[in-house]
Amino acid sequence: MTTTTVDSPAVTSRPRTTGSGPTFGRVLTAEWIKFRSLRSTVWTSSITVLVMVGLAFLMASLSTAVDDPSAQGIPASAAPMIVFGYYFGQLALAVLGVLVITGEYSTGMIRSTLTAVPKRLPALWAKALVAAVVGAVVATVAIALSALVTLPYLDGLGMTFDLSDGETLRVLGGGVLYLATITVFSLAVGAILRHTAAALATVLGLLLVVETVFQSIPHAFFQNVSPFLPGTAGSKLMMDDAGLEMAASMTSGPQLTPWQGYGVMLAWVVVLLATAAVLLRRRAA
Amino acid sequence: MIEARSLTKRYGRKTAVDDVTFTVHPGKVTGFLGPNGAGKSTTMRMVVGLDLPTAGTVTVNGKRYAEHRAPLREVGTLLDAKAVHTGRTAYNHLLAQAATHGIGKARVQEVIGLTGLDSVAGKRVGGFSLGMGQRLGIAAALLGDPQTLILDEPVNGLDPEGVKWVRNLVRYLASEGRTVFLSSHLMSEMALTADHIIVVGRGRVIADAPVSDIIGRAEGGVVRVRTPQPDALERLLRAEGAQVASTEQGLLEVVGRTAAQVGDTAAAAGLALHELTPVASSLEDAYMQLTAEEVEYHSASPVGHLAGAGNPTVTTTGADAPSTESALR
Repeated sequence: MTTTTVDSPAVTSRPRTTGSGPTFGRVLTAEWIKFRSLRSTVWTSSITVLVMVGLAFLMASLSTAVDDPSAQGIPASAAPMIVFGYYFGQLALAVLGVLVITGEYSTGMIRSTLTAVPKRLPALWAKALVAAVVGAVVATVAIALSALVTLPYLDGLGMTFDLSDGETLRVLGGGVLYLATITVFSLAVGAILRHTAAALATVLGLLLVVETVFQSIPHAFFQNVSPFLPGTAGSKLMMDDAGLEMAASMTSGPQLTPWQGYGVMLAWVVVLLATAAVLLRRRAA
Repeated sequence: MIEARSLTKRYGRKTAVDDVTFTVHPGKVTGFLGPNGAGKSTTMRMVVGLDLPTAGTVTVNGKRYAEHRAPLREVGTLLDAKAVHTGRTAYNHLLAQAATHGIGKARVQEVIGLTGLDSVAGKRVGGFSLGMGQRLGIAAALLGDPQTLILDEPVNGLDPEGVKWVRNLVRYLASEGRTVFLSSHLMSEMALTADHIIVVGRGRVIADAPVSDIIGRAEGGVVRVRTPQPDALERLLRAEGAQVASTEQGLLEVVGRTAAQVGDTAAAAGLALHELTPVASSLEDAYMQLTAEEVEYHSASPVGHLAGAGNPTVTTTGADAPSTESALR
């Protein structure tokens, strides 16, 4: 490997050019190259799709054998059934979002990144954009495939599936928005904590444990805070009207509309990203 | 040109870099020499803005690194071999770095060829040896064909062939008029590679001079004397303030007197000499001398260990030696 280079250290001489530097488009290209050239991102994306499609299929196929679906907590219409797998699918996307940034800290890559983009913030925005777009594309593929595998069972369940229906569109589109937002949310937490295990524990602990606990404790404080936690707030977008009514009947806390809920979730992401940006500017890498 | 002015970095109570001022000029290889923990890496990290100085400034070609429009085309940096994602291939790492500055695939292939990475470019970096990691770091530093190169311990982990390659490469880059700033704790390597040396110890600049000056002016040149009357000569030399060590019967190693002075002393006393040899001081000796003060007061530091191991025949010189710091400036 070495013999060919020892005697010929020549560096191609080229006209000196100040050249042009890291424009946002170039930083975005670089972040996309980085994203697609890691196996972990391919894995987490694939797992998200598999989990969501698998759960939608199981839900639809098994529901046909149940006598009183609504009493079992099974969605009463097609759209919520199709996005049913979001709850577990989001975990893989959370891992993906976290790894996009903590993977650079754990390996030292962040030093190369920030040496190439010393103004630092463009690199963070580019990562956030890549995470959002990838989250949205993965969610779209997962939800489309979920719809496909669910369709054959809908007749048997007495459900109709109509994409021109506003509520159906909100639930399915909401699934895409929610999952894309969760991916960016996880990236922001990763950028603040800079440590894979800490960031994963925080995001998954919040989504799986904290939100569930807040939701289920019948105390005014928990009931008042619960609707404003990111996962609980954002997931309103994926409930049909029947689901929203049922959710309302189970809590004494404030009721957010689907879009208010998503707005709350977005606010979380904005605050966390802003915090990450301030810290990125200040901290040594 | 790299200019550091009163550069200081403190971590809590620990001062890693203490009021450091130096200039690295183009057209030369400037060595940055010091024991581990002397503040070399921290200084280099501050040059490219990865660490923010507690006080002072450092500029590259007149501007702070982050203010350059195209930093990678201005400065090539190898900070350590571990600034790469282990799950990515060498080629994709370079491609992503290049993309930030609109540098094309052709140049990526060029630096891969230049650093001899062709056969491993498609492999994930996690499986690289330290030497291959260094080559990849150097390839990344060369991507933007920069006027200034900052290389932290570039020969670390390289085999002798690789060491020679880096030496030729940096000398060639400097001969083209580029600024090359290269750190090492290997004094012997610096003697062969660098034109100018900045020595740091415990966060401070101890010496900043051409290599030849550092070797030439350093105290501690040893004079070897063979005489049938070693005891008498030793007594006389000690009376003159020289330090004398004896490694075998009839052989003295004298520090602090030139060969001529030793010869005159012997002649005046009528002592016979069978051998009188000035042993040229190496850069290593010079380095030990320069850091001797640190040794004197901090015997547990790594320098103390090195000084003991590298200079077995010379008794400690720190307390007696005049301040070499001022002599070398």
